[in-house]
This record gives sequence, C-alpha cells and structure tokens, in this order.
Amino acid sequence: MRKSIYVLSFIIFSIFSVNIMVYAQDAPEVSEKGKEVYEESCAHCHGVEGRGDGSAAKNLLPQPRDFTGGIYKIRSTAGGELPTDKDLFDIISKGMPGSSMPEWESALSADERWEVVAYIKTFYEGFKENESPPIEISLEGKIPYSEESVEIGKFFYAQFACFECHGNVGRGDGTSAPTLQDEWGFKSWPANLAQSWNFRGGSSTEDIYKRFIGGIAGSAMPMFEDASFGLSVEEAQRYGQLENKVEMTDAEDEEFNSLDEKMGNAYDILDMMTEGLADEEQKQLHAEAMKVFQEKSWHIANYVKSLAPEKRPEPAIGKNALRSQYTVDTLPTIDDAAWETLEASYFPLVGQIVVEPRQFNPTIDSVNVKSFYNDTEVAFLFIWDDRTNNTEEMEDEDLGKTFEDAIAIQFPVKIPEDPTAPKPYFLWGGKKAVYLWQWKASAADTVTELTAKGITKAEVQEVQGDLQAEGKYTDGQYRLWIKRALKTDDKKDLQIEPGEFVPIAFSVWDGANGDVDTKRVISSWYSFVLEPVPSSKRFIYPPLVALLSLGILVGLRGFVQRRNT
Amino acid sequence: MKTKMLVCFALLLACGFGLIVFADDHEEEEMNKLVFSKEAYKPVAVNNGGKISGIVKFEGKVPEKKKIAINKDPKVCDVVEKFDESLVVGEDMALKNTIVYLMDITQGKEFDKDAKVELDQKECRFNPHVQIIPVGTALTVLNNDKATHNVHIFGTKKNRTSINKQQTKNRKRMKLASAKAAEGPVEVKCDIHGWMKAWVAYVPHPYFAVTNEKGEFTLENVPPGEYKLGYWHETCGNNNKEPVVVTIAAGGEVKQDFTLKIKK
Ligand code: HEC
Ligand code: HEC
Repeated sequence: MRKSIYVLSFIIFSIFSVNIMVYAQDAPEVSEKGKEVYEESCAHCHGVEGRGDGSAAKNLLPQPRDFTGGIYKIRSTAGGELPTDKDLFDIISKGMPGSSMPEWESALSADERWEVVAYIKTFYEGFKENESPPIEISLEGKIPYSEESVEIGKFFYAQFACFECHGNVGRGDGTSAPTLQDEWGFKSWPANLAQSWNFRGGSSTEDIYKRFIGGIAGSAMPMFEDASFGLSVEEAQRYGQLENKVEMTDAEDEEFNSLDEKMGNAYDILDMMTEGLADEEQKQLHAEAMKVFQEKSWHIANYVKSLAPEKRPEPAIGKNALRSQYTVDTLPTIDDAAWETLEASYFPLVGQIVVEPRQFNPTIDSVNVKSFYNDTEVAFLFIWDDRTNNTEEMEDEDLGKTFEDAIAIQFPVKIPEDPTAPKPYFLWGGKKAVYLWQWKASAADTVTELTAKGITKAEVQEVQGDLQAEGKYTDGQYRLWIKRALKTDDKKDLQIEPGEFVPIAFSVWDGANGDVDTKRVISSWYSFVLEPVPSSKRFIYPPLVALLSLGILVGLRGFVQRRNT
Repeated sequence: MKTKMLVCFALLLACGFGLIVFADDHEEEEMNKLVFSKEAYKPVAVNNGGKISGIVKFEGKVPEKKKIAINKDPKVCDVVEKFDESLVVGEDMALKNTIVYLMDITQGKEFDKDAKVELDQKECRFNPHVQIIPVGTALTVLNNDKATHNVHIFGTKKNRTSINKQQTKNRKRMKLASAKAAEGPVEVKCDIHGWMKAWVAYVPHPYFAVTNEKGEFTLENVPPGEYKLGYWHETCGNNNKEPVVVTIAAGGEVKQDFTLKIKK
C-alpha cells in the first residue's frame, strides 16, 4: 500500500513539478539502491512488501521475518526496544545460523548492506516514530571466564529458571520445550546450548549475555530481570538453599523471611523505576541492585559459554576420521569410564531432501562417535542430542503426529578396494547394496541388521548376527552402545580388518519433529578405521618416511633453484 | 515523514484519485482489532450522563468444554480443573469475556484512577481472561504460584513490538511499562505453561466493559449523544463493519443486547 502511495505521489508530483525538489529532500530513507538490493536478494524470502511471504518462504522454519511487525530477535537493545541500525547491519552481514537466513557479507558490499538496512526499516512505522534512540544493554562489569564463575553461573541458571526450556544441562530439552511456539504460531525449539554454532546471534559471552537480558523478541525466550533482585550473590545462594529445605529451624525460617522481605522491597523499587516514580534514594538502591544483577548475569553467560566447544567440531574426515582404539582388555560397556578417555568424532547431519517425504527443518545436528576394538570384537558408542524421548507413534497436543526416535548406521556390504573406488549410493545404496544397523527407542537393547538397495528398499536380514546393544536417554541426549565380532560367517555382513578404511554413514529420526521413513536427517559417507595395533613396524616406518620426505624436499629445492637460474 | 504523507494525501484528494489506494490489503488483520476515534480523547466533567447496558448471548451449538491437559508443574498447576476459555458460555447462553465499548466517543469521564489494573497468575491460569488497560497505565502482573512464569504480550503491528518478561516464583508482583497508544486486543501467553492465555486491550477512554458470567455489561456516565456501540470477542469476532448506533439522553438509560455466533 505504501508503495502505491509513493508511486502515485510521484506521478502527481511530476504533474505539479514545482514540488519535486521538496519530495526528494523529505524522504532520504527510501533509498532506491536499498530497494533494488532488497528486491533482488531478499524479496523471494521476505516478500516484496516485507511481510515474510516471499515465494521461497513456504517450507522454511523459522519463517522468513515479517518486517512489518518490527519484531527483531537479535538486538543489543533492552526488551521491548527496536534494534539499532548496527544490529541490523550485523545480522544481515553474518546471517542467522540454524535458520535459512544467509550471510550477506560475501555477496553484498558494506554500502549495499547499509542501504538495505535503511530500506527494511521503511516497512515498520515504529522506526519513524521513535524520537529517542533505543536503550542499549550495558555490557559493564563483565566477569572474566573462570571455573569459579561457571560454577556460580550454574546456580543462577537454575535460579533464573532457564532449565524450564533449555533443560538441566542446556540441551534444549526442558519440560516446556515441546510446547513452545513463536509469535507467528509456528513450532520453535529452545536452543541447544551445547551447540552454540547454531545460535542465531553469535556465541561470544557478550552475545549470550545480550540474548537473555534483552530477550529474543518474537520467540518464547523472555527477557530477564533477576530472580533474586536486591540479594547479593551469596544471599541469593543462601536463599536457594533455604528454599529447598524440607524443614527449617526457627532461626532459618527467620533468615529466609528477612531475605524474602529484602528481595520484595527491591522488586517494589524496580516497579517504581518502571513507572518513573522512584525518588533519589530509591534510584540509588536500584542502581546498586542492578550491579549485582549484572554480576549474576555474567556468571550465567560464562556458564552457558562453558557448555559448548569454542567452535563447531571438525567433521570426521581426514585426520579427524573415526579411529577405533585397540585395547587388550574386554571392551567397555555403555557406562564405563574408559569412554571418557576418547575424543569423539563428529558427524554432521542434514535434512533428507532428495526423496519425498523430505525434512526441510532438521532438529538433530550431528552424531558423535567413539570406538574401541580388541582382537575379536569392536564396540561403538553413538551419541546424539534429541530434545525429546519418543518411544512410540502418537498424537501430541502440541506437536501433532509424532513418531519413534531411531538411528541407522550404514556400511557398504563390500568395502571398496581403495578409498577412491565408487561406494554405494549414500541414501541406503542402489545397485550396490548397503549393510545397516537399525536401532529404535522402543527397543533400547536391540539392533536389527538390514540390507538395503535404496532408501525404500531395506530388508531385515534373515540371519541376525550376534550384535549386542544398549541405548539410554538422559538430559536431551541418546547414547547407544553396540558391540559386534570383527568377523562373521554371514556373507551379507561387513567384515572388518584393522587398518582398512571402512565407509560409514548415518540416518537419524527425531520422532517429535515428524521424522519417519524417508523423512529424517542423514550424513553422506565418512569413514572409520580400526587404528592398527602398535607394532615394532611402527618404529621403523616413521624414520624411513621422514628420511624419504627429506630427500624429496632437497631434490625439489635443487630443481626449483635450477629452474630459477 | 508524517507531513509528507499528509501532503501526498491532500494532493491525491485534489487530483480526484480519492481514497481507493488506501484500501488495506491486509484488512482482515485490522478487522480483528477494536476501533478507536482518530481524534484524541478529552476527559471532561460529565454531569447527568446516561447508562448503556445489556446482555451478550451466544447463538449456535455450544462446543463441548475442552479440559486442559496439564503437562507441567502438576503440584502447582493441576490443583483445580482448567478449561479452554476461548468461548465461555454460561446459563441462558450468556457469553462471558466480550468487550463492549463506544467506538467514536471523543470526550467524557476520566478513567477511574483507583481501579486496579492487575493480571493475576494463580494455579497457572491468567485472571482475568480479557482485560482493559488504560493507555499510560502500567499493568501489574501478579505471581501467586510457586512456579516460574513468563509474561509474553504479543506485538501489535503498529505501535509496539512484543514484550516477554520472565517472572520467577520469587517475584510476586511485576509492573509492565505502560502503552503509549491505543491498540489491541493482543494475546498474552505464558510460554513456560503453554496453555496459559489471555487478552489485553490498551484503550484511550473509559467507556469499555467486559461481560461477566451472566453476559452482562454496563457503560456508565455517558455524555448525552449518539454513539457507535461495538463489541469484540475472541472467538465470535466483532461488529466493526456494522456497529449498533445508540442515542442516549441526559440521565437516560439504553438497553442493548447482542447475540453472537462463532466467527467464520
Ligand atoms: C533463504 C531465505 C532468506 C533470504 C534470501 C533472506 N533472508 Fe533474512 N531471514 C530469513 C529467515 C528464515 C529469517 C528468520 C530467522 C529466525 O527467525 O531465526 C530471516 C531474518 C532476517 C532478519 C531478522 C533478524 C533478527 O534479528 O530477527 C533480517 C533483518 C533479515 N532477515 C534481513 C535480510 C536481508 C536484508 C536479506 C537480503 C539481503 C535477507 N534477509 C535475505 C530468510 C532469508
Ligand atoms: C520460555 C522458554 C525459555 C526460557 C525460560 C529461556 N529460554 Fe533461551 N531460548 C528459548 C527459545 C525458544 C530460544 C530460541 C529462540 C529463537 O531463535 O527463535 C532460545 C534461545 C536461547 C539462546 C540462543 C541465542 C541465539 O542467538 O540463538 C541462548 C544463549 C539462550 N536461549 C539462553 C538462555 C538463558 C541463559 C536463559 C535463562 C536466563 C534462557 N535462555 C531461558 C526459550 C527459553
């Protein structure tokens, strides 16, 4: 509608040409360049009129933003405020990981990005009417990262009740998680805090701090104003301790009540501030309590920071390939501490979008795998995060139809001669067959062997080998332990030799996300190897290789020098 | 910006293009809202004002009451049975939670300064389900539960982006910043307990009522004159397109009942 006003006004103004100059000066924010960039790069998702209804929007979750509502998730500003121009510029530049919003740093110049910022602001009246700049979140009083701070942060993570949505250890598996929706009525899941590379707005401690101080507008994630306002860190911890006591002595009761009263008074002052009614003394008290609130919040940010690795792990290829470790002992069972000594290999997953029904909005990021073997057997530990434990098909009030969670681990039936030889088609094979281990959440101790010649052409093997399995679900995470003999009599099975690179791939189903049959998350082929047993040979080879490479280097240098002269 | 629009507007009229271009493509969204006069409301002393009252009833098959499944904090939340409140029909088909108001009044009595503007959270239910908030007044949200809630007031397209504030069990009262402009009704939700839903409307004048269990409403101390009487109901819609016109004499009393159906 607004566009038509401009177009029409332009025609009219052309008629009353005297006014053209005035118009041009009055409307600096409607940049032609910004509009051009927008219509070329953004409109197919965000819609020509900014309503989030572009032609490509249909299957996307979260949906491309409707800019006419002025709701922005990633802000450096307080709850209820609009973002700054810099916020918009940054999010457009960096994109929003974990959603389909791309980064534009590489495709658009900084100039073009600033122009498009100005243009998307024209979709919402509120930007024009804002007389004062938005209130920014103060980043003062940052507490450096330390084990101690993380420990305190853990307490406040609980007291602020982050766990309601994000779960006890932050995997996004809180008891409210399955019921959450965004403001536009679409399903939305709380972030898995252990996978900070999927955060929309960055994973620095400051980013995390801003997200919960200001809230993530449009989502279920609220802004926070302390859960023990007016109490110091120690008092707040004491309050928490007393609160959880089944029986309190009279002295404790009194202590608790006095802390409770102190907190009540501080909240009253906070309300006075909200209404602009606080006097000087109250303002002073408020400022002091705010300082402590900031302190608690930095501890929380440090705790959240501690939950994820600094960066997304490297996928399990090349030097990161899954290497099963030899042990002379019996292989460890699922809860054995021996697993802690191994670093997991990371297998990223993506939605299956080749065959109908497809998964455009995957909820499972990856599978992490560890493995040990001995002279006769190999054991694997497969670990993946899933926010809900679904063991049967059912009709869920919030999620609609849900299915059983499951995983399938895929190998070729025949190991290719060499790593470059063609493997079976990655979607459960084709002409070349694949061999599968399938596990379902309803039968935690059973793995079924399948042979498949296509994603819909899997058959349960008639002879089921001697596979042992145990699966467990805790705090938003599945752990599946599988043990098998290295060699079997079944021709359809995989025979595993130390030192041989074996292709491996995964399919995972999150039943709560509607995953069933071909609708699932998958990986392409990776490989694993039984790391050869250290033998005397090892001590001969490395020096030999070193000598050889040295020789080649010297030779090369000579060659280059000769060419240059 | 505003002045530019105004200039455009005047010119358009002058050129005889009329208002056609102003027809909103997203009329429907707007149609779910209340109607306010463009003119700013002026509080004046009202002597010998009249009274408008009536009963709102529901017509049609009353859907079966939908019991809410409590899947969270049962000790706090599952104390009494709770039902979906999007359509509450009482005895004699009385329709609760309908807003009845004057659309076009521009001057009249002042807001009752002492009236409490509170939204209670108790046993994981918002009370009241539909609430009127004067523009410029802060809403006080109470937490009478030993559970953590979050108060999520959805954004309105025009004046305000969304507000969503955590209210842990330690915080018994929480003021929310007042609204600057009239708008709504907008949805209120506690995301932590997803079934907790309510509605608030930010209004510029005091001639608003919400029907009780008996479907009754009363607007008191209305200056004599002719007004458009509007209604809004979450499930039954509104009469924005064809409001009822009422004429009220000094000290007079007008009765106006409504019968609403589920909106298509
Ligand atoms: C492939 C589809 C797609 C394209 C193309 C796209 N976006 Fe987005 N955009 C999205 C999605 C999806 C979201 C919402 C993500 C979310 O809510 O988590 C989004 C969100 C945004 C946001 C909101 C950020 C916030 O803090 O909430 C801005 C601003 C934005 N996009 C700008 C742009 C601009 C400018 C362009 C073009 C240069 C563009 N987008 C192109 C899909 C797209
Ligand atoms: C009512 C549920 C709820 C509560 C309580 C909650 N969160 Fe969240 N949180 C969410 C949701 C939903 C998202 C995903 C938002 C989105 O991207 O749309 C999220 C996302 C996040 C993110 C990722 C930000 C990003 O850039 O993508 C962080 C970090 C986070 N929350 C931290 C916290 C902390 C810390 C607390 C407690 C102080 C907390 N959350 C409390 C629901 C919640």
